[in-house]
Amino acid sequence: MTDKEIIAKWKNETAPLLPVLHAFHDRDEYISEDTIRTVSSELKIPVAELFATISFYHHFSRELPGKQAPRVCTGNVCCLNGGTELLEELKSDGATPMPCAGRCDEMVPVIKGDKVLVGKNSSSLECHASPLPIPNPGNLEECIFRYIREKNRSTLDGYQNNHGYAALRQTIKSSPENILQLITESKLAGRGGAGFPTGLKWKSVAEANGTPKSIICNADEGEPGCFKDRAIMDHDPHALIEGMTIAAYSTGSDRGFIYLRYEYPETEGTLQKAIDEAAQNNLLGEEILGVEGFNFDLQIRRGAGAYICGEEGSLLNSLEGKHPFPRNKPPFPVTHGFENLPTVVNNVETLASVPHIVRKGPDWYQSLGMGEHAGTKVISLSGDIERPGNYEVPFGLPLKTLLHDWAGGAPKGKEIMAVTMAGLSGGFLSGDDLGVTLDEPSIRSKGSFLGAGGIIVFDETRDMVKVAHSAMEFFAHESCGKCFPCRIGTQRLKERLSEEGSGLDALEWVKEVDEIGEVMKATSACGLGIAAPNVTDSLQKYFPEAISNHANK
Amino acid sequence: MISAKDVPANARILTVSVDGELVEFKDGETIYEVADRCSREVPTLCYDPRLEAFGSCRLCVVEVEGIKNPVASCTTKATDGMVIKTRTNDIEQYRKTLLEMVASENRNLDIDPLAGYASQELGKLIERYEARPDRFCGKQSGKTNQEDKNPFILRDYDNCISCYRCVRVCAEQEGDHAINIINRGFETQISTEFGNDLRDSQCTFCGQCVQTCPTGALSDKKALRAKELPEEIKKTRSVCPYCGVGCTVDILSKGDRVVGIQPAMDGPANEGALCIKGQYAFDFVHHPDRLKKPLIRQEDGTFKESDWDEALDAAAKGYKKVLEENGRRSIYGIASGRAPHEAAYTMQKFIRSNCGTNYIDNCSRS
Repeated sequence: MTDKEIIAKWKNETAPLLPVLHAFHDRDEYISEDTIRTVSSELKIPVAELFATISFYHHFSRELPGKQAPRVCTGNVCCLNGGTELLEELKSDGATPMPCAGRCDEMVPVIKGDKVLVGKNSSSLECHASPLPIPNPGNLEECIFRYIREKNRSTLDGYQNNHGYAALRQTIKSSPENILQLITESKLAGRGGAGFPTGLKWKSVAEANGTPKSIICNADEGEPGCFKDRAIMDHDPHALIEGMTIAAYSTGSDRGFIYLRYEYPETEGTLQKAIDEAAQNNLLGEEILGVEGFNFDLQIRRGAGAYICGEEGSLLNSLEGKHPFPRNKPPFPVTHGFENLPTVVNNVETLASVPHIVRKGPDWYQSLGMGEHAGTKVISLSGDIERPGNYEVPFGLPLKTLLHDWAGGAPKGKEIMAVTMAGLSGGFLSGDDLGVTLDEPSIRSKGSFLGAGGIIVFDETRDMVKVAHSAMEFFAHESCGKCFPCRIGTQRLKERLSEEGSGLDALEWVKEVDEIGEVMKATSACGLGIAAPNVTDSLQKYFPEAISNHANK
Repeated sequence: MISAKDVPANARILTVSVDGELVEFKDGETIYEVADRCSREVPTLCYDPRLEAFGSCRLCVVEVEGIKNPVASCTTKATDGMVIKTRTNDIEQYRKTLLEMVASENRNLDIDPLAGYASQELGKLIERYEARPDRFCGKQSGKTNQEDKNPFILRDYDNCISCYRCVRVCAEQEGDHAINIINRGFETQISTEFGNDLRDSQCTFCGQCVQTCPTGALSDKKALRAKELPEEIKKTRSVCPYCGVGCTVDILSKGDRVVGIQPAMDGPANEGALCIKGQYAFDFVHHPDRLKKPLIRQEDGTFKESDWDEALDAAAKGYKKVLEENGRRSIYGIASGRAPHEAAYTMQKFIRSNCGTNYIDNCSRS
């Protein structure tokens, strides 16, 4: 494609910057100075601003070898599995490291161009479909994974073999108010980690002034150790599309975006195919299923390597082509979201649960949880565990049941020493606190949170200070640089956890780390800076000896 | 009770409690604005009242009853009945820790006030909070760019604290978008397009970035020439002598030398803005070639020094001669763009009534 063709294709679309940059990046393998000048003048973005915004995204190359040079995952799970060694092996091909790429249930992923290869070393690297969740080991009834293992589930035919789009057909016979009521009654809440009640969010958008309204799916699954959204999108894409379309109907929204992380290139193909199929069958587009005035245009926007874009304010800025800093809240996206208009921002898992809930009813969904808890959660389990993978658990399931009975415990007869919660953001649980049940009240009572549901397991042989350093290195790497406590705090905590040490004695080490942590938790502008000190807090709580050994080194 | 300005008489009275004191406010005001109005001296580093509130330095956090974490007062709107505490022990401790963290990545806290209008902000806060700059030691951020050859703006990013006031003033006030924020996290850096020198960017050298910089990372190269002069800096309020906009300036002098210009933040016409000429072009004041008396051109083309009476007589004679010999349409007046309204008015009056022609214009549009 020529420059002109690329520009012409996107210029009049909504949210054009990311696709334009990807088109140039795909064509040239890097983003040249000429490209920046062209895009700047065509999309009316000042050159300095565009130059700066591109530098924010770590997967946009500014020079050759660009897109085809291998990116090797040296994330928090992969560095347990040989990621660092694989990076060394591939250095001669121009390989560079990348943080967690969301294939933690396999060996180390390497992104080359638009392919993800997975392997233990350079000779075993191969490209294959991402793993399906194994059948529920507890034989419990599932919601989100109910039909995901069925043959051809990712195609429209396969999807419709098992009630696909039945919920949408049911929805259009009902009023938007009834659907909002149903979702509210189901107690479905945000599965990306924040846990905001979905029904309330939708209702706020439905009632907010201003059009067009938008449904945005947050598929920027960047939290290390989280790969559940990938599984849903790879194997059950129509469930997401149907969920978004139901959200559109209920809120009166007519445009939708799936903001997909860069690290899932094959997923983009799968989703696009599903969107095209749906559109051809009048399940998306104009007058959906013949309902007058029910229009919903759904497009994919691919990120370019920035964890913070999973924060909804950053995500919206990124979509709008702005510098992806988080936004100040309030106002919230439900009234001032995409292009300052009412917007639903929901996680993949949340949206993909919707068709099941609509079809089977709120009481059914609530009953899936254990005891007082409503519904289910997908947990991504990885690290030192016999059977890593995605597990749909009822809220309230004991963590130990998942770790030992479902996933086989630590490999080679070792003991589980600690696990992370919420990917990395929840810090660690260890010792007696491994007796929690998988629900927010239980986990929060231990100072952590379940969040997006990533759990990384560490066996007794792991050096927890090193593990914590790698976690803090991630947060420092991904801190956007806007607010002071996070920008400086993540860096200082990382330094204090580094092998070289900080030159502080143990007493002073603890004092400084605590003080930095306190100020980050109290004053950071978004969740990244608020959560990062969970790592140092929990490290100190469970491994005080490791700290004193480390500080006195 | 402290009253909000411009509260319409019939509007419902909105109040918040600030540290126990009931304060009226008008809809849309932020907590910071309300607190500032009642002199709470809430500390800030990323705040410039002319810019959209950004909320990055977090020094302005305050406690609000019912909200778990402290909120940034600059970005949070006051709402009726809000109970605000601006300086609890916790809040003051957070501020001190934050300042110590900021100081830990900043190489130089002792900045000459000639550097710029806001250049003392960080140093003063460090002093006020008795923050210890030697804590939290570690890597320092920002790469200095003293190589930038421009004659006006010193770019020493060793002292940059990434508050982005420069970037925001350039975009929001000046509309130049010459600089922006590259990279992210601790690696963020202020940069022009492609990292070029300022001269090869959209920069117009208005100097607004220099004057809003709270650390002296951006500083006034011309003013700093006088750094070593022993006298105290004196500020004299005046009006910029260039165009007719009438920007208010503070002329900085040491002894009998003008050493720099700073825009007046409360100047009604400019609110802290200047252009390259008003900001930096003051060297003529002490230049040896500067004319101090009128000169009259002689028959042979040379100039003769004179006084104003003689010079005005010569000018009047010249006008009369041209009018007599060539008529009123041979005169065309162009008023200087540097002249204020009153002078421009007098000029057109002179041309119209004395010379009898409407051939009058202004250099700004000719």
